Amino acid sequence: MRRYLAARLLQALGVVIFVTTFAFVMIHLAPGDPIAAALARPNITEAMRQELRAAYGLDRPVGEQYVRWVANTARGNLGFSFSHRRPVRDVFADALPNTLLLSGLGLVLSFAIGIFVGVVQAERPGSGRDRWLGRVLLVLYSVPDFWLALVILMVFAYRLPLFPPGGMTDAVMYDYLSPGGKLLDRARHLVLPVMTLAILTAAGVARFQRGALLAVLPSDWMRTALAKGLSWRAAVARHAFRNALLPVITLFGLAVPAFATGAIFVEKVFSWPGMGLVVVNAIAARDYPLVTAGVMLLSVLVAACALLADLAVAAADPRIRLG
Amino acid sequence: MSRLSWLSARRTRSASLCFFATLAVSGCKGLEDTKSAGPADVGGTLVISTPSDAGTLLPTLIAGITDRQVTDLLYDRLADIGDDLNSVGDKGFKPQLAERWEWAADSLSIVFHINPRARWHDGVPVRASDVRFSVNLIKDRALASPALPLVTNIDSVSVRDSVTAVAWFKKRTPAQFYDLVYQVSIVPEHVLGNTPAAQLRDAEVGRRGIGSGRFRLVTWQPGVKIELVADTGNYRGRAKLDRVIFSIAPDFTAALTRFFAGDADLFELLKTEQFARFANDTVRRMQRYPTLAYTTLTMNMKDPKSMGQAHPIFGDRAVRRALTMAVDRTAMLRNAFDTAGLPLFGPFPRGASVADTTLPQIAYDTTKARALLDSAGWTVGPDGVRIRNGRRLEFTMSVPSSSALRKQYAVLLQEAFRKIGVSATPDVSDFATFMSKLNNGAFDMQLNNYVPDPGVSGFKQSWSTAGIGKDGTNSGSYSNPLVDAMLDSATATFDPARTRAYARRAFETIIEDAPGIWLYETPAVMGLDKRIHPVGMRADGYWSHLADWWIPASQRSARDKIGLRPTP
Repeated sequence: MRRYLAARLLQALGVVIFVTTFAFVMIHLAPGDPIAAALARPNITEAMRQELRAAYGLDRPVGEQYVRWVANTARGNLGFSFSHRRPVRDVFADALPNTLLLSGLGLVLSFAIGIFVGVVQAERPGSGRDRWLGRVLLVLYSVPDFWLALVILMVFAYRLPLFPPGGMTDAVMYDYLSPGGKLLDRARHLVLPVMTLAILTAAGVARFQRGALLAVLPSDWMRTALAKGLSWRAAVARHAFRNALLPVITLFGLAVPAFATGAIFVEKVFSWPGMGLVVVNAIAARDYPLVTAGVMLLSVLVAACALLADLAVAAADPRIRLG
Repeated sequence: MSRLSWLSARRTRSASLCFFATLAVSGCKGLEDTKSAGPADVGGTLVISTPSDAGTLLPTLIAGITDRQVTDLLYDRLADIGDDLNSVGDKGFKPQLAERWEWAADSLSIVFHINPRARWHDGVPVRASDVRFSVNLIKDRALASPALPLVTNIDSVSVRDSVTAVAWFKKRTPAQFYDLVYQVSIVPEHVLGNTPAAQLRDAEVGRRGIGSGRFRLVTWQPGVKIELVADTGNYRGRAKLDRVIFSIAPDFTAALTRFFAGDADLFELLKTEQFARFANDTVRRMQRYPTLAYTTLTMNMKDPKSMGQAHPIFGDRAVRRALTMAVDRTAMLRNAFDTAGLPLFGPFPRGASVADTTLPQIAYDTTKARALLDSAGWTVGPDGVRIRNGRRLEFTMSVPSSSALRKQYAVLLQEAFRKIGVSATPDVSDFATFMSKLNNGAFDMQLNNYVPDPGVSGFKQSWSTAGIGKDGTNSGSYSNPLVDAMLDSATATFDPARTRAYARRAFETIIEDAPGIWLYETPAVMGLDKRIHPVGMRADGYWSHLADWWIPASQRSARDKIGLRPTP
């Protein structure tokens, strides 16, 4: 097990280094640079931009910049964001908790709903309920995510102004609310983005869960359990569900980093100041340090989640031996 | 940029007609509030929904529009430019930090008397040494201030006593007063002085926003909001509004939705297709405001593939004029803006002090355009595209993907050019790439948006030979000795009438030379909550008199009633 873990960690480190280096080179090869993007005022001359490039070392060869970046990163210095004019570490310190809150709630809710719906469907496969739910899930699964987010925004924030249209809190009143009022305000701002994330992901999870359950239900051990007198519901809950959970655990492992990056559209539509938005805007602004650090963070997240998912599957299924 | 899809074209058209009928009736008097605020009308909150965060709160380093809006509210200058934006001498300038000033007999120095009641927001008095520090800071190359090229005529500032600063100039010019008081916001030495200039760009101290303006900073939450409140003890008087909040949304659609959902009072970037939303709106209204922004199709005089050479197409004046004649600018304006468009009459916005909308134009005439191209040797080839010496009359038009309007214009221009046998292809790229092409001269044609400074020197930088290269902003490399001479004279004379006359001659020549096609002035219409009463919007920034905007006591909403309570 230790050897397996060490090998996987080494593998993950290699992936992170490769992905980060690739991102560093690609963003530097893209046309434009942070100085040109940030200083687009008509009265700013090219000579001034060149002075700034020199001040930030952007006029040095890419290889030299890369070595400097690696050396700084090794010392825990992720650099300085050109677009935010703050240390990258501070930018992430603001954005990461926001993403974790949104994605965490969205992830938990979507898997809870997805698993529940999948089980309900698999209980009576081929029934009217199963077919009806299947059609709804297929529609939700096929809906473009950006479109769904906009529709939810338009309907629930604009046409029926039940929830705020964006942001994490009320821009004006939040600071002046009571602690309970603040909590409520934050919850109201979470409803629409979390709902969007949950709807989109739950549809996929439910289809996975239904398929996995249908695959294990005809097993010999299920027949044995039923023959020994267990009710259908108890046999599903105690035996089938655990076995059918394995592909969903793997899916969960893949979904965590996907939520960190894939929630970009939700962050954008609902003005949620999270990681996805920060990285996307950094790409547009050619904010080299922020992009590279963002990619590094996300690649670490992907590698860690993949490893954790493998460990979780092994824990859930005694037949799997790691190492 | 996104559009609101639920609006039908028909509704948009009728609404925009309605909008302009309303404006016609009011004669644009919406720019000035006819009512005035009473003593009870002090207070209230203005929330501005904006799609861009500030990058800095140091006026010496501003680059984006939100930077400028916020710093203009936080920091005072020595004097404020008048509403006519005159930049010659000190006519029309109103005292701010300097309660008065005196010119030396040779005009090479000006003595500024600082208002002894002026205080920084942390309570420290504003001193003459702050003026010296501000000028030295902006001139320090280590800081690389974007305003540096605009203050090169300022030699130095000396301090006579704590409230008397003397500004020394290298030469006597008509815009020397403007150069100092408009381009230099005064910043606090006691806050910034201990940080080396090279580090100020990135230093935390640059985010504190301690100024002397009528608003002071409460909080800046990056990507979320910037909150300012009235500085109640301000030497120029308390702002009428209690607070101004810049509510930051990540993009245009989100910012717009926030406004229509009632979470914001002002959204400044309305597009024509949004006008219909106001038809039956009892809470919000549209408000036109002046601006200096305009858009041209700039032609590159230099070959992007061989920068030392003239452009093989646009190097020929006859071709440039033919291309201009092929464009029905009035029809395009109607197509893009319905009746809300403002035509452009040359390389200047009508809000500029030297603007002249009576200048003769190159008329739309496709027959003449074809004839001009024929006589220049460009004959129609088998596929309808003209050819000369084996070279096709084709080029690209560089457009930023962030601007739906410019992309729309690129398609209209492509069709207009096709009609005279010219193949023009829109080259859409993200903003960083677009800017890179602009700065490196790597384009044939470019749809450029200009926002010039009110003074004449900005035109010199953009259209004279001196502006070509890395020390200027003449991205199309246009050069004409007559224009150079006229713009030199315009910036050298002390008589505003003669300044306008020289500028007129320069603009006339530029229009004749056709180094660009003058497309439109950005029609600036904001959405505004009806309870907000704006006062005196100026073309260089609608927020110039924001401290005097007011909300009637009888129309206050919940967010107006927060008062001046400090943030918990």
